[in-house]
Amino acid sequence: MSTLLSFHAAICAKIVDPVQNDLLILAPGLGLRRVLCALMKTYDDKKNLVLLLNATPEEESEIGEELSLIGCRKPGLRTVGYETGSKERQEIYKQGGLISVTSRILVVDILQSDIPTHLITGLLILHAEKVTALALEAFIVRLYRQKNKDGFLKAFTDEPEHITSGFAPLNSIMKELQLKRVHIYARFQADVQDSLKRRRADYVEVSPGMTKAMEDIHHAVIECMTLTLAELKRSNTAIDLDDFNVENAYFRSFELVVRKQLDSVWHKVGPRTKQLVNDLGTLRRLLHYLLTYDALQFHSYLETLIAANTTTQTGGARQHQSPWMVTNAGHIIFDVAKKRCYVMNEVKGARARHVIDVDEDAWDALDEIEGRVGGPGPKNDSTDTKFPPWIPAGMEPILEELPKWSYLAEILQEIEGEIVRQESIVNEQPSGSNTVLVMSSSTRICSLITEFLSSLDPTAPRGAEGRDMMLQKLRLYLWWKGKLSERKRDGKSHFQMPDGRHRDLHQESQSLSEALKRKDKERADRVASRRRVRGGVPSSNTSSRPVVKSEPVDLVRMDGEILDEAHTFADFLTTQSAHDWEILPVSVGGVVVDLASGDVMSEFDDQFGLLPPEQTVLVRAFSDDSDDRMLAEIQPKFIVMFEPNMAFIRRIEVYRATHPGLAVRVYHMTYANSCEEHKFLAGMRREKESFERLIKEHASLPLTFDDPYGSSHTDALVKTISTRAAGGRRDLSKEPSRVIIDVREFRSTLPSLLHAAGLEIIPATLTVGDYILSPDMCVERKSLSDLIASFTSGRLYTQCELMSVHYKQPILLIEFDEDKAFSLEIVSDFKSYVKPTGKYPAKKPGSDSSSAVPSLQSKIVLLLLQFPRVRIIWASSSYETADIFKDLKHNNAEPDTKRAIAIGVDDESEAGAGINASAEELLRCLPGITAKNVHYVMSRVRSVRELCELSLVQVQAILGAEPGKKCWDFMHQGEKPATSHT
Amino acid sequence: MSGQPRPPPPKPPVVQPGTGNNIIIGPNQRGNPVLEQIKNVGKEFGDIVVDFQVGRTTGVLYLSLRYHRLHPEYIHTRIEKLGYAYNLRILLILCDVTEHKDIIRELTKTCHINNVTIIVAFTLEEAGHYLATFKQFEHKPPDMIKERVDKDYPSILRSALTSINRVNKTDVETLRTTFGSFANIAKTSSDQLQNLPGFGPVKVRNIKNAFDKPFRNNA
Repeated sequence: MSTLLSFHAAICAKIVDPVQNDLLILAPGLGLRRVLCALMKTYDDKKNLVLLLNATPEEESEIGEELSLIGCRKPGLRTVGYETGSKERQEIYKQGGLISVTSRILVVDILQSDIPTHLITGLLILHAEKVTALALEAFIVRLYRQKNKDGFLKAFTDEPEHITSGFAPLNSIMKELQLKRVHIYARFQADVQDSLKRRRADYVEVSPGMTKAMEDIHHAVIECMTLTLAELKRSNTAIDLDDFNVENAYFRSFELVVRKQLDSVWHKVGPRTKQLVNDLGTLRRLLHYLLTYDALQFHSYLETLIAANTTTQTGGARQHQSPWMVTNAGHIIFDVAKKRCYVMNEVKGARARHVIDVDEDAWDALDEIEGRVGGPGPKNDSTDTKFPPWIPAGMEPILEELPKWSYLAEILQEIEGEIVRQESIVNEQPSGSNTVLVMSSSTRICSLITEFLSSLDPTAPRGAEGRDMMLQKLRLYLWWKGKLSERKRDGKSHFQMPDGRHRDLHQESQSLSEALKRKDKERADRVASRRRVRGGVPSSNTSSRPVVKSEPVDLVRMDGEILDEAHTFADFLTTQSAHDWEILPVSVGGVVVDLASGDVMSEFDDQFGLLPPEQTVLVRAFSDDSDDRMLAEIQPKFIVMFEPNMAFIRRIEVYRATHPGLAVRVYHMTYANSCEEHKFLAGMRREKESFERLIKEHASLPLTFDDPYGSSHTDALVKTISTRAAGGRRDLSKEPSRVIIDVREFRSTLPSLLHAAGLEIIPATLTVGDYILSPDMCVERKSLSDLIASFTSGRLYTQCELMSVHYKQPILLIEFDEDKAFSLEIVSDFKSYVKPTGKYPAKKPGSDSSSAVPSLQSKIVLLLLQFPRVRIIWASSSYETADIFKDLKHNNAEPDTKRAIAIGVDDESEAGAGINASAEELLRCLPGITAKNVHYVMSRVRSVRELCELSLVQVQAILGAEPGKKCWDFMHQGEKPATSHT
Repeated sequence: MSGQPRPPPPKPPVVQPGTGNNIIIGPNQRGNPVLEQIKNVGKEFGDIVVDFQVGRTTGVLYLSLRYHRLHPEYIHTRIEKLGYAYNLRILLILCDVTEHKDIIRELTKTCHINNVTIIVAFTLEEAGHYLATFKQFEHKPPDMIKERVDKDYPSILRSALTSINRVNKTDVETLRTTFGSFANIAKTSSDQLQNLPGFGPVKVRNIKNAFDKPFRNNA
């Protein structure tokens, strides 16, 4: 498959030389992986030891597969992850060949000399754009170059936009990686042009306009954005907001820019500004969702937004809302979005309910449902004249569909005709397959498209082809809405168990559901794939903002409206409850079972939908370079790009160039005058600009001379002069200054900085403390978010307890982020101090520090009162910490590694880097598990999942009767008796 | 100890004036704006070796960094005078300068040698809050920061799941409503998780790592 185009070959020839060190910057979509694999193939030899760094697990497996395709089979690419034991790792390193390693593990291995660093043939570093002075990769390169000056180092990136921030970004990357040569290949490079332009595109641009309603919403959202921006500018006169405009706000990076600008004063900006920044994100997402979500989903998303905005976490009415929601434009958004779904007619009072006897026999009910569900045909006829009976009276479904859908249907039809035509004319060799490839930006859209295509009704009028699907969705939506109101009625927060009434329903309908499930699997599946419709609050959890401004307006009313409506639906539901509506809860509740039984074995199977005339439509999401291989394997002649994507257009270009003689037709769909179109064009422009900038910087790159580390040798000598000897005797001490560091700490940047500061680093698995500075000094490092979390969980108490027992000088290091403010609290939230609300502990201080911080100081005080010997180090950044550590080590004896490891270890000795920290953390949080028995549990059970699958008796055997019961109950709470697997 | 050779002032521990329910303030702190920020506890002046005595065994020295820049020797003499008095010795620093790095580093070292714990406050209000809290919590049991066991189901579930990197409270709710129980969440496949709103590949991978991967690889 891997036919290299001429420019690919040219690149390879340039960088293959194992004496040179290079950085390759390639435009996205031009096939970086091809180049990489070709390169790796040339290095594939037992005598070499070539390490691949920074590859994500997906990339690892993809590259491995691709390598085996082009003939590096025995052993091919091997991966060293954290599952690989240290013995095994050493073995793999010894064997040589191509190895992909996780950075954190490699650092530890180099430091512990588990890997023969001087024998490494070379390093290949992916995602070079992410390398900064603080990155682990930079640390690795430093360690590598210390011991190995001959090995090569090649870095790769295909994300040039990322190498633009800061001063001389290209230079700093090259400095960190100690590279001298750069190769930049943009799409407009002559070589690339030459090899790609030979075959012109058969390129069909389809740009459907948005519907009237969508346009209205679109404009309203833009208006809201402008408004929010203006507000933001007004409230923050101090900062530079020049490039804050709506165009930029389309991009995700915009929020980051805003955040970055505000970071240093983040503790000074009021909650209002924070809300505004948050709102911008919400609005940006709305624009995107408007084009991708179906009308109902969009509407329900808006409703959750309102719900999240009107209630606080404790369930009370919230007085402080996002300003855009109370504007006219905001109102338009909500209003029109609803009108896209349905219209409520004012016949509420005297509506004729479709009441069905609740006590009816289950079999009768089943028949009813069967009759209703079984034949989509007759139902379809009735839709236009009469609505299905389950729609509440007075509700008139509108169910607007996305314009792209009908265009897609049309295109598919056209393609079908084209295929038939081609087959009748040409009787030559069939090149390429007749598979139609539909590409979209996310798996979610993929499943929506698949769903649409499978329920497509070609006879329906334009814009109503997906009526069936939409009706299904409406039904689900109504159920969801009923559920929403139930919660509201209880007046409690969103975080609660479904109430008893609902539970009864579940049980009552159990027998029915079992039968149904078997009979109506297909339908359950469909519901299953759509369970996201009821997915709660948006991810930007605005509801955790504190109440500051009181402006009880519109929104409450609006919410009330929604509530009223929801009540009506809910009432309606109860009247029909025993009969019809249970299906939904049951099938949603049963999702786990259904899915587990193989329906969603993989997204893939889902996406292969068969259409009537021997023609296959494959719906996939854009991914990375693996798309290249997919194209090569499927060899489609027709490609529909449901959304614009520049990288994929290039992939098609490359695909076309590598398959001469294949007539490829591409349909490219973009909504006219939408943010989608704008984003696409602006993205293209930005990429071009970033390339130009890079080329410019490359031209003016400063000359560096060889051996930037030559001086380090003498430095090291001076450093080892001990100042402990009296009288200034300049003796060389035998051992250099060293720090023992817990292996889990290698995720942070501090070890790298300590190493840069000239300390010797010894990785070890420590039970007590993170850093051991001297035989008496033990440091527990906490970033701000860690600090809050571990205060809440009580871990810090235990850790301080342990440190106090084993060390004379226990130290708590509180480390602040460098670019963030050096401050514990947010001034404006200070007032709420008086009564600490430790009820909802926050995890990330950035997002919702306000609710957690109030008690943070008090907790520190309490901790100090409990452990008077604990000292606190306040470090404003990791750099600062390194300096303080050096200061503290001054005049103190060096720590003993063996002793440090032995301290606090009860029974087991743990192996190297083979620790799954997040699993351990999760386990510790479970009830019944304490700091004392956690190690025992881990020795008995392999993973959390395994623990979950044990029966009550087994859990009790491990934890003891009482805690075991507690733990088991916790794990299985919320399950229905029938579905709990014991 | 740095100032060891010189004998400390021969005062016996500290005279306890008053009832012991008040913060005792050293006479040289008169006029310190932080006094106004000490709320909810009684205050009285008394002759003590520290600036604030906030408990029987707890003494606090107060230092504004702005002052320290002008009189760098001041705090050293104060610490020296302290001798061995007090069990918990605090240096409360008011960080009111922007160039705090070097100063704090140097103070950290000094305090470490002299067994003094540093607390950095960033505003006067915060400093006052610290002082008041020390007094209020003098006899408080440490339950607030200990591992807690008696919690309700949703909050345990929440804290358990949010211990996984990138999982937020909304996600917890989504997981709970979709899958029902913790055990069911453990059983789900990546694909199912991927389909949930707000779940990207990284989050899903984190979740799967926490649930499925073994705690230890005993190699």
